[in-house]
Amino acid sequence: MNTLGQLSLFVAFVASGYAAFVGIAGGQRRRAIGRSGIAAGVIGVAALTTVSLVLIHALVVKDFRFQYVAHYSSSELPWYYSLSAFWVGQAGSLLLWAWSLALVALAFRFWPGRHTSPLRELAFGLLMAYLCFLVAIMVFAADPMEPSLTTPQHGLGLSPLLQHPAMLIHPPIVFVGYALWAVPFALAIAALVSGQLDVHWVRAARPWALSAWAVLGIGILLGGLWAYEELGWGGYWGWDPVENGSLMPWLAGTALIHGLLGWQHRGVLKKTVVLLTIVTFGLCNFATFLTRSGIFSSLHAFSESPIGWMFLVLMLALTAGGIVLVVRRRSELGPAWPISTVVSREAVVLLSTLALLLLVLAMLLGTISVPLSNILLGRKITFGTAFYNNVLIPIALLLLAGTASAPLLRWGMRPTPRQRKALLAAAIAAIVGPVAIWICGVRHPFGLAVAWLVAAALLILAASLFLDAARYDPRRPWLHLLRAAVGGRRKYAGFLIHLGFVSLVVGVTGSSLGTRRQDVVLREGESVQWAGRTIRYVGLIERDEPDKFVAEAELEISDRGAAGYRLRPAQYLHRPQNEWTTEVAIRSTWSGDFYTILHGNRGPHRVSLTLVENPMMRWLWSGGWIALIGALLALWPMRAASKRERPRRRVSRAQRVPPIKSGQAIASPAALEPPHFYQPKQSQQPTQARRRQ
Amino acid sequence: MATRGRLILAGAVVASVTAYMAYVGGSADWQYYLTVDECAARGQTLLGSRIRVNGNVAPGTLHVDADRTQARFQLLGSAGNLPARCGGPIPDNLVENMAVVVEGRLDDHGVLQGHKLLTRCASKYETRAAASATGSASATGSASATGSASAARAQTAARAPETVR
Repeated sequence: MNTLGQLSLFVAFVASGYAAFVGIAGGQRRRAIGRSGIAAGVIGVAALTTVSLVLIHALVVKDFRFQYVAHYSSSELPWYYSLSAFWVGQAGSLLLWAWSLALVALAFRFWPGRHTSPLRELAFGLLMAYLCFLVAIMVFAADPMEPSLTTPQHGLGLSPLLQHPAMLIHPPIVFVGYALWAVPFALAIAALVSGQLDVHWVRAARPWALSAWAVLGIGILLGGLWAYEELGWGGYWGWDPVENGSLMPWLAGTALIHGLLGWQHRGVLKKTVVLLTIVTFGLCNFATFLTRSGIFSSLHAFSESPIGWMFLVLMLALTAGGIVLVVRRRSELGPAWPISTVVSREAVVLLSTLALLLLVLAMLLGTISVPLSNILLGRKITFGTAFYNNVLIPIALLLLAGTASAPLLRWGMRPTPRQRKALLAAAIAAIVGPVAIWICGVRHPFGLAVAWLVAAALLILAASLFLDAARYDPRRPWLHLLRAAVGGRRKYAGFLIHLGFVSLVVGVTGSSLGTRRQDVVLREGESVQWAGRTIRYVGLIERDEPDKFVAEAELEISDRGAAGYRLRPAQYLHRPQNEWTTEVAIRSTWSGDFYTILHGNRGPHRVSLTLVENPMMRWLWSGGWIALIGALLALWPMRAASKRERPRRRVSRAQRVPPIKSGQAIASPAALEPPHFYQPKQSQQPTQARRRQ
Repeated sequence: MATRGRLILAGAVVASVTAYMAYVGGSADWQYYLTVDECAARGQTLLGSRIRVNGNVAPGTLHVDADRTQARFQLLGSAGNLPARCGGPIPDNLVENMAVVVEGRLDDHGVLQGHKLLTRCASKYETRAAASATGSASATGSASATGSASAARAQTAARAPETVR
């Protein structure tokens, strides 16, 4: 099996290299050569799939003839955790990334789409080149198929901290997210190289960018959930360099998705979009450098390896190359229309992009502060959480304000009088938000500001839906709310993602400002009153399981007079590693989490516990799932617009394409690009016309 | 004012406020990042300063309270060890020889008074050989949740920390 794996790895290296050469060198001009390049790509992907299946089989059957399996699995480990060892080690995680990229590249190549073939072939060639780079690292530096020198009986096993359900899905999801970000990057570079800088590449890149954003976002959220439930990792977010490494491309990608909309709808922000595409993918490579270079002050122990530096060199080369291409094509990247008013969607997108990039910059500086300060000051300095939290406050408020106002703003022009009235009314009515939480006892200015913006976001979204529904029937808009939402599915899917963000902000704000904790020692049968609850320690439950010894403290809790419930915080002794882990017990409601930690014994029949109240945590996790549903709705293929389903938007004079007078100089080809609503497929049915019928 | 000017002004305001908040947060919460040897070399000059020390727990020095709210140990250095005392929740996987990060201040006696103790992830991206070799020997001083004796636990105690009774 080792031989099959190593042979397949070599085949993947050669085949992906050939496919990259054909794709980039323009093999598509000659049909036969172009086909051979695609065939090589398919062979490369198949070979890499073979390598992955060989490793999966070896992990499941505990084949310790593989050095990788012997290092990360053991005979006692359940098969599902043994499978998760696939992405625990250096070589395995590289294989997972390469395999994800290979499958994504194949899906991209054969996905039915309208974008032109040469652009797709060139982008596919670039993806194959990146795949060849990843496979080369495995062939020459980190071989997952390496045989053991001597076959051990049991294997070294997996750290108990990594034996968590989130470990089964969190790392692969993050790697798939990184792999998906490669597609918009490849399309942008292909568009820059070929000069096809029209809206087609943007339309082709947008679903891939949105998929990457959703997948990476869920991966980060699952990582937070895992850290929240495992002690010693600093809660759901600790601003650790490795955590920052995955969040930075996601933030840049958030700006990119909005920028792509600006380009698609108004032909603006073109340079910003291309640079953001390069920056986002560059940051994915930087995250890999962070985790594998061993030079950063991180919780995660990484061996020092030259592999990280290879990713840094690659990132710098790709970024420099991308910037050179942007400079060369700068005349073709001018805006089709100037931003005419600050009260428009493109203006809000521009300011939000700036805010997101400032946050990324602050995180980057904080992350590299140790080596950077060592070079500049001769002393190694690191920043704590206050630095990041302080930066986050103004940026979160600005993003929340943008999110709140977006539904009643328009591309390229000021809001209509009705929209302006609705905006003003919602902003005034939203005062109910801070008043409500003031009554509940919240006095923090940030909490009050967030409450106002959250209330405004909800009211503005409702107003937008009503105004859209009023196009169907101005007298009874409430009968057409669903119709309006379905008619503008992509728009409302985007707003659903915004709602997810709002929910996430509520969770982060609540848990940051309102957390309380208390250490207690309880004797069997003894009760304590805390935070409106009565907590009674019933007793200790001990049991043996095949791979561990379990000790659970049973707690009976009555919550503010409501029906009681029981929690069992525990400690496990994992026998293979002879290591204790603490398993927290959580009662989660919409108002907050009651989080209990069992520390240890304090004499016979007495235990030491920590009780924690984390308000609004469920809003944080729910925000992620709401955003995921929104992204899926936005990604769902659009059928040809039905004329009966769509009310017409009246085309104002300002929206019309200005006629080009004879002899007039054209600034750039982009100036000829019409806004999307002039295209027949996306034109909208007039309400007035329907009413007249 | 033209739209472009307004946008530039708004951008400048956002950038200025963010930079100011970063400065305030950074100046309130920065710390020296040191190894044990660097800490020893700078000695008295670090008294009272916030420091974040990265090192390994020296063998035979780890003592964790039964309720796992206090830990005492020495961080291994090439010239000498740095004594440390940490409060707050003690990570489960804290064992001797393990790489840890301690945030705190040096007191007058040269003891690192940590307010935060973080263990580094044991296996990701590195082989388990080193961690496994030290795991069984270094569990001394860890505490368990349990207090009563039982046959099952007696069996467990053969492989478990000393404090399991």
